[in-house]
Amino acid sequence: MTDGPLIVQSDKTLLLDIDHPLSTECRRAIAPFAELERSPEHIHTYRLTSLGLWNARAAGHDAEQVIDTLLKYSRYAVPHSILVDIAETMSRYGRLRLEADPVHGLILITTDTAVLEEVIRAKKIAPLLGLRLDAETIVVHPSQRGAIKQALLRLGWPAEDFAGYVDGQHHEIELVQNGWNIRPYQTLAAEGFWHGGSGVVVLPCGAGKTIVGAAAMAHAKATTLILVTNTIAARQWREELLLRTTLHEDEIGEYSGSKKEIRAVTIATYQVMTKKKNGVYSHLDLFDTHDWGLIIYDEVHLLPAPIFRFTADIQSRRRLGLTATLVREDGLEGEVFSLIGPKRYDVPWKEIEAQGYIAPAECIEVRVTLTEAERMTYATAEPENRYRLCATTATKRKVVETLTKIHSQDQVLVIGQYIDQLDELAEVLGVPLIKGDTPIKERERLFKLFRSGEVKCLVVSKVANFSIDLPEATIAIQVSGAFGSRQEEAQRLGRILRPKSDGRTARFYSVVSRDTIDQDFAQNRQRFLAEQGYSYRIIDADDVSQGKL
Amino acid sequence: METRSFADYMRGLSDESLAALFANRPDLISPVPSDLSSLSVRANSAPSLARAVDGLNEWQFQVLEACVAINEPMTEKEIISVTDPSAKFVIPHLISLALLYTSRDGIRIPHTLRDVLGNEPAGLGPASMAKLSMKKLEEAPAGSKKILEQLTWGPPRGSVGDIRNPGPGIAWLLKENFLVPLDQRTVVLPRNVAIHLRGGKVHRNPQPNPPVIEGKSVKQSVIDRAAIANIATILRWCEEILNFWSEEPPSALRAGGLGVRDLKSAAEHLGVDENCAAFVSELVYLSGLVVIDADDRVLPTHAFDLWLTQRAEERWRGLSSLWLMTSRVSGLVGRAESKHISALGPELDRVNAASTRKLTLDLLLNSQELCPEINSFLALTKWRAPSRRSPGLQPDLVKWTLREAEWIGITGQGAISKYGAAFIQGEEEIGINIDLPKPVNHILIQSDNTAIAPGRLEIDIARTLDSIADIESRGGATVYRFSETSLRRGLDHGKTGEEIREFLRKTSKTPIPQPLDYLISDVSKRHGRLRVGNTSAYIRCEDPTLISQILSDKRMEILPMRRIAPEVLVCDMDAKEIIVTLRTAGYLPAAESNSGVLLLGPRLNRAKSKPRPPRIIGELETPSEETLAAALRAIRVGEKSSNKQNALREIAANALGALPRTTANETLDLLNKFIAQACTLSIGYADNNGSATHRIVDPLSISAGSLIARDHATGEVQSFRIPRITGVAPL
Repeated sequence: MTDGPLIVQSDKTLLLDIDHPLSTECRRAIAPFAELERSPEHIHTYRLTSLGLWNARAAGHDAEQVIDTLLKYSRYAVPHSILVDIAETMSRYGRLRLEADPVHGLILITTDTAVLEEVIRAKKIAPLLGLRLDAETIVVHPSQRGAIKQALLRLGWPAEDFAGYVDGQHHEIELVQNGWNIRPYQTLAAEGFWHGGSGVVVLPCGAGKTIVGAAAMAHAKATTLILVTNTIAARQWREELLLRTTLHEDEIGEYSGSKKEIRAVTIATYQVMTKKKNGVYSHLDLFDTHDWGLIIYDEVHLLPAPIFRFTADIQSRRRLGLTATLVREDGLEGEVFSLIGPKRYDVPWKEIEAQGYIAPAECIEVRVTLTEAERMTYATAEPENRYRLCATTATKRKVVETLTKIHSQDQVLVIGQYIDQLDELAEVLGVPLIKGDTPIKERERLFKLFRSGEVKCLVVSKVANFSIDLPEATIAIQVSGAFGSRQEEAQRLGRILRPKSDGRTARFYSVVSRDTIDQDFAQNRQRFLAEQGYSYRIIDADDVSQGKL
Repeated sequence: METRSFADYMRGLSDESLAALFANRPDLISPVPSDLSSLSVRANSAPSLARAVDGLNEWQFQVLEACVAINEPMTEKEIISVTDPSAKFVIPHLISLALLYTSRDGIRIPHTLRDVLGNEPAGLGPASMAKLSMKKLEEAPAGSKKILEQLTWGPPRGSVGDIRNPGPGIAWLLKENFLVPLDQRTVVLPRNVAIHLRGGKVHRNPQPNPPVIEGKSVKQSVIDRAAIANIATILRWCEEILNFWSEEPPSALRAGGLGVRDLKSAAEHLGVDENCAAFVSELVYLSGLVVIDADDRVLPTHAFDLWLTQRAEERWRGLSSLWLMTSRVSGLVGRAESKHISALGPELDRVNAASTRKLTLDLLLNSQELCPEINSFLALTKWRAPSRRSPGLQPDLVKWTLREAEWIGITGQGAISKYGAAFIQGEEEIGINIDLPKPVNHILIQSDNTAIAPGRLEIDIARTLDSIADIESRGGATVYRFSETSLRRGLDHGKTGEEIREFLRKTSKTPIPQPLDYLISDVSKRHGRLRVGNTSAYIRCEDPTLISQILSDKRMEILPMRRIAPEVLVCDMDAKEIIVTLRTAGYLPAAESNSGVLLLGPRLNRAKSKPRPPRIIGELETPSEETLAAALRAIRVGEKSSNKQNALREIAANALGALPRTTANETLDLLNKFIAQACTLSIGYADNNGSATHRIVDPLSISAGSLIARDHATGEVQSFRIPRITGVAPL
């Protein structure tokens, strides 16, 4: 019985005691095959999944190594069934291989004919296959590379993809590190991605995912298509690339609602890509018109369905997904992994915070009490109106007023879901409001003023949930949100996580109505961050007004 | 004559030899025979001999077969000559088992043994009486040789078209007495010829040496680590399955045992496959920790509560020894070929289960630090216990035993563990208590509302935690999650928010995160705000002072009243009585219906049940003439009919032996046919108790599932429910 930091559970979760002296070493050892699920303050939870084990196989780890690692760090004896299961799962990988054949194009080869016989009889797979060349080889329609990989994965016989990637059109890109240095985890992430071929990098908000993208581009040295959430984000990418790489202004094109430039590096928005014209996605051709060597999906957790489908068809191009929160309330995480690629790099938020690359943040839930009249209205309201009612209560306004007064010296963002609530707040606080119908120019102007410190406080709707880079924002006050969305909460916190010049702690206030459905949603929303180790403090609105924070 | 000599032999045995015999064949002394002659009769009986033969290994069996194949009396040399020199070491053992015995003229065989081993031991036919010259065999024509080749290694019988007109090969053999006709179509190769052809031996492959077990060698430390994990796991499984069943007791099948669905849900709960779940259920069933209750629910017993307080080693030893002894085979559950066999069911007993289990464990014990490869292991078990009586099951039994030994922790990574070895050898201390990880007495609470017990929790803590948190992950550690529902459950169990907080503060190594603290307050604040109860009447009044007055009124003390609001009293008595009491005391109450409507108006009491007047038995009036005439007519007809009835009863009684029987479809067809033909029918008709009576009827029509017909016995038109008609036949 060793006294290791790891406890292997019978449901294939691994519990890592991070207060243990060996925990860092152990974390590094299990990271290649186990997926980090939760990282709260004392015990981190990892999970062994088939996908994770196969990725480990793909990265050159074998079952024996995995088992040895578990045995080495495990505090208690490891259940035998898990060891057997690991060996069995890992042995399934690599019996099928996808290869490029000079004559037949894409072929599926097996070392185990029984497996091939099994898979070609599967209903979902048969239509993707062509001519049977011999007992061990069968032709695959080249356009079905993504689809067959997905289908095989579901059958439990993952194919090892040796067909390679197209290099794309060569384009010289280098990082220019003048006055800044790429951080170690960014290098690791970019390399992890490059060696894996394609995949997803998960880094906290504000941890510099753009740099990871730029580093990946420097690896690829090829024309690149970058897909981002909106025009503002597109412009930020552009500026960042100009600053961090050898790229010149005329090498970067913007493909958005207003401009349709196609350059060596093209930044397109999801919105324009999924715009339908006469019932067809006319802009999806962008994927094909150019010989891209790399495709980057920013905020991949937001990837819209049509792009999913199209991504399946471009499996021969390298794909990099970037996100902070790979939780989708629609449960499509699996699709992201199989189409863009497995998770290549992931690091707990708190670890990056400890390294000083993101600002430490304090999360505070401010509970307000509804007035008697509001409670009555709430109690008798239709269920579908209830959330709106309690989320937009007038009591919240007072709290926000007090909070902004307390933080009058800081850069404050007030974030909400309901426009009328935000209109009212902007009016009461006397500050500008950015919402969906604010023109891009006006948005950019306001953000600029905010960055320079001329505007201290902004009220923003959900348009500012993602990708908006506001380095000096230290305080965020959330007054309402999209029900129980976990990733929205995390993204909003992300707005204030850029490290501050004076190392200040950022503060995230979530104003919640007590004893209402708002409180239940808040609990669900906080779950992702709580699992990342952010501990919420709950205070009463009355304490705020008395200045007790 | 032989029997006598066997009895004589038994009489001549020394006490030691007898003791050795009893040790090897314990059935001979249960019950203890009255004297030596009855002992020898028993020792020579087929069941006892068969049991002794079952205990032989392959080589001992082969030697015994060889002995049966050669003529009595025999010498050791003769036996060796037809087997192998190493038979020398086997013969004394066979003698000590009284499967062979020595007499003055040599070694003999208890005569019933021949029946036990069958007519054709080792595929040899009967001995030939005729004088044979084996040399002649070499001159046999080619056709005859071919036939001999076919018969040499058994079976010794061959069929021919017609014995009187055989082919040339057979004819030669018959002529030379190398084949003996058995009947019109069968010939047999005599034993002595076969042995000669077999080169003087009885068996083609004598197996004096046991096959060697192959396998992977494993280090003892690794084995023990794996085994202790298995031990911890099996104890946890047993506990969990019982806790699971105490929350949601499954219902046993009518045929006894656990339904497939219940087994599946238990398996899901434990996170194991169904075989393993069946094994665990059987294990707790054997230990009396669970019982099928009188209402057919499968429920943990009180023994379970005691069991939980036992130390791990005690618990494990209990489980393992019962598993070792039982004849029940949980591996039989859920096999495709026997779907009806269910866990905890009645059909799991197999004769050789316990002996196979013992044999398997013995073999494991003899191959330390080795995880046996299954085929070589099976070969050895087959050699050790050829198990001729139910050959189909043995490999499965061995495989299941290996699997179960791993689950229960006697083995670890397939090889015998030190705990298993200590247990099989019956040692006092197995060492489980020392090696099992110590139970922990603390948890770690984290801000995502989970609590982690980094090891097995002490039982009291685990129970409390179970009531206030949901288990999210099990294994060496346990992950609990607090939620509104789980906390509410704790409050429902009678804990207060403060108690829960106190418990967590005491148990947790880390401070309680504020969100959890708030969650507990929130839930306990809301818990029980709504109160629900039963009462039979209420007294309400818009003036609270009047309510207070009633409550303090001495005359009202006979009413058990409770004030639940300033304006409302509840009382567990009938509203009417309360009204009466209130009125007597001078109050002016009004009754109210449950929808709040005042019940005013005169007090007219009405019964709630339907009218049910008694039968009228009054004085008889003088009947009218018509009535009299009708009565007379009726009596006459009745008389006639009862004569007829008697006659018909007789017919019916005569026919009763042959109560018509038709299937439901036939019945309907026949009825339709005979209604059309309007002929009288004899039918069998089942009464309420299910016993069929014979009726003679004239069918009229069929309507609404009934046959409308005139019953000859009563003369009335009656309806007969068709499903109750057991058969129809025309009279």
